[in-house]
Amino acid sequence: MKRIWVASVVIMLACAATPLHAQLTYERLLKAEQDPGNWLTYSGNYRSWRYSPLNEVTRDNARKLKLKWVYQMQTTHTVETTPLVADGVMYFTEPPSNVVAVDAATGRQFWRYRRVMPKKVNACCGQVNRGIALLGDRVFVGTVDAHLVALDAKTGAVLWDIEVADYRTGHSITVAPLIVKDMVICGISGGEYGIRGFLDAYDVASGKRRWRYWTIPAPGEPGSQTWPGDSWKTGGAPTWVTGSFDPEQNLIIWGTGNPSPDWNGDSRKGDNLYSDSAIALDVDTGKLKWYFQHVPHDVHDWDSVQVPVLVDDEFLGRPRKLIYWAHRNAFYYVLDRETGQFLLGKPFATQTWAKGLDEKGRPIRLPNIDPSLEGTYVWPGVQGATNWFSPSYSPLTKLLYVSVWENQGLYRKGEQEYSPGNRYIGSVPMIDLPDDPGHGAIRALNPKTGDRLWEYKLQTKPWAGVLSTAGQLVFGGSDEGHVFALDATNGKEIWRQNLGGIIRTNPISYQSQGKQVIAIAAGNSMFTFELGD
Amino acid sequence: MVKQIRLRGIVVIGLAGLTWVVLALAAAPTQVEEITTTRNPRTSFADVAAGAKTFRSHCASCHGVNGEGGRGPNLTSGVFFHGSSDLDLLNNISDGIQGTEMPGLFYSPDRVWQVVAFLRSLSAGTAAKPTADVARGAELFTSRGCRQCHRVNGEGGRLGPDLSDIGRTRSVEHLRAALVDPQADVRQRYWVVSFVDTSGKNHEGFLMNEDSYTVQFMDMNERLHSVSKSAIKGYKVEKTSRMPSFKDSLNNSDLEQLVGYLSSLRPKGGAQ
Repeated sequence: MKRIWVASVVIMLACAATPLHAQLTYERLLKAEQDPGNWLTYSGNYRSWRYSPLNEVTRDNARKLKLKWVYQMQTTHTVETTPLVADGVMYFTEPPSNVVAVDAATGRQFWRYRRVMPKKVNACCGQVNRGIALLGDRVFVGTVDAHLVALDAKTGAVLWDIEVADYRTGHSITVAPLIVKDMVICGISGGEYGIRGFLDAYDVASGKRRWRYWTIPAPGEPGSQTWPGDSWKTGGAPTWVTGSFDPEQNLIIWGTGNPSPDWNGDSRKGDNLYSDSAIALDVDTGKLKWYFQHVPHDVHDWDSVQVPVLVDDEFLGRPRKLIYWAHRNAFYYVLDRETGQFLLGKPFATQTWAKGLDEKGRPIRLPNIDPSLEGTYVWPGVQGATNWFSPSYSPLTKLLYVSVWENQGLYRKGEQEYSPGNRYIGSVPMIDLPDDPGHGAIRALNPKTGDRLWEYKLQTKPWAGVLSTAGQLVFGGSDEGHVFALDATNGKEIWRQNLGGIIRTNPISYQSQGKQVIAIAAGNSMFTFELGD
Repeated sequence: MVKQIRLRGIVVIGLAGLTWVVLALAAAPTQVEEITTTRNPRTSFADVAAGAKTFRSHCASCHGVNGEGGRGPNLTSGVFFHGSSDLDLLNNISDGIQGTEMPGLFYSPDRVWQVVAFLRSLSAGTAAKPTADVARGAELFTSRGCRQCHRVNGEGGRLGPDLSDIGRTRSVEHLRAALVDPQADVRQRYWVVSFVDTSGKNHEGFLMNEDSYTVQFMDMNERLHSVSKSAIKGYKVEKTSRMPSFKDSLNNSDLEQLVGYLSSLRPKGGAQ
């Protein structure tokens, strides 16, 4: 009896010691790696490693992972959300643009913000959302009707709601915002609707815009010569996946999307800067410091919307600030983070469109690879060799883990005219070839050479990102509905669970009641796992 | 059919309360009248041509250049899953269709009406074609062995696609091409898998589903199986069709009768 009483006191003290909703400061975001019990930003830290220092779940015990709780969302849209966890509360979006806060220990709901959508909202690829951002006692979410909303983290009440752009002209927000200092950094979607892309910074307290960086220069600005006529006005280059932040340089590193129209470049001859590029902006001013364009004059829809992985390490004999970037175009890149200089490029998946990259990283295109009226077969396919779903970098193995597609596409070119709010794409290639759907894999790359160390082959092409952990594990998911844990050193499968619905999200890890938890959404539900007895 | 749905709606509303009955009765005739009487005001040749241009720019990527279907449904039959009246088409094109990938078009009603005119022109051609002897086509369907693998309204085999509503979902041209050259378009569901089990026995069947670890298939006796890939050997997937070509075995006349029969097929209870 005494033992039970003591245990009860310990549990009560444990609960009391971890009050929900402690103050989430910018300093805590800066030091997220030192706070592994929480998952405070989209990619886990500003360097976007999607790595958890938690090591309770290991290669030796991962077979004992068991379901902790499930939250079933009230949606029929595709779920792409990455949850955040702060001080015992998990926050995630429920498409199209709702937000839910639940007890991270039980999955029981605290509140739900329901966003009423206009009758007609056009988003290219479904009314999806990839997540929220947190600061202080506020939750920030971008909406499919192109608003940015601040919610009270304790109640879900709206604190401010501002229009970022007009949804009736094809703008939408699907990206998870990123908090830097006292600003919400928020991108825009609409590359299939002829928008002019931008990246914005908003004051967290008021919602007032601090700066806007247009990803397509106006006439007279540097780079404007790469857009003939008025094509810059409808040239796309959206910013629909969360970027990274380098506090030492005060730089945001963000990827930009395809030029519009996607598969017909006749009206926009030129390199089309700064589409399909990595851009580095001063976070206080929004001014461009450098850029690197992966795909000049893209006609295959190979956005640079992968999460940039920032690593400080030796490269070619000296310490450097690096960016690791496995791109949708099937090339893996290493860039210098201070200058944008190209350091290395190598295919990490099958590609048939470029002979290689030149010394500056510009692709050396092969002939006859552009979309045509009758269709042109090219590897990779339109969704690329990877896409928006996150890679992961482990400082233990020093490997980069990537969800990969091995596939080709049939690229068709078509007529196109611009009209506000309607698709502006120049035909649509076949995403899946009926007799050759391709396959998927999780691959481990040596990030300094681009060499492949191992792969875990999948029957289908995964839309889920990967998470590495200090337990020497890599977690991922598949369109087939399986979540799995692999040995980070050799790719051997250690644990697998069928969740019964497609997985198009990124996994995270956090700590609840003293135990490591793995969370990932599948189908229209959020699943969590922890070690069983 | 539209009228029936509306009337049923009125009954349901009426059960909710007398006030609502009055409102519904007052409103319903107007709605029914609107749906059944609203006609496309833009039906000239110029409108059809303009509609074709918009269609090619915004619709053809999913529905095919000639509306034959692809990622989206075939639009040449004149019958549409989500309503076939002019007003249905106007609304569905303008607003998109919830729960599907169909987006709405941000165009003026006049311009959408032109697309509707183009869609009508597609089915006008199809409607002129059925000169076939459907009864003769049905005889051929049985005598030529189609029924062994294909099921129509609950009768026939299950190895090939169920054809009970094939006339609604496939154009005449598509059906003719499928009979002449079955290899041209073989859906993954009808690929043939084969392997050897642990006892050395060979297995073969039509692929129903597959993931990284297991495969589900129907064997040639219509039995369902699910096996672990780790427990089998020599796993192969044959991407060709088992259906024979009728290019040389049917004369043109019989081919047209068979196409006519297939084109006449609708699910029991009639089309929506």
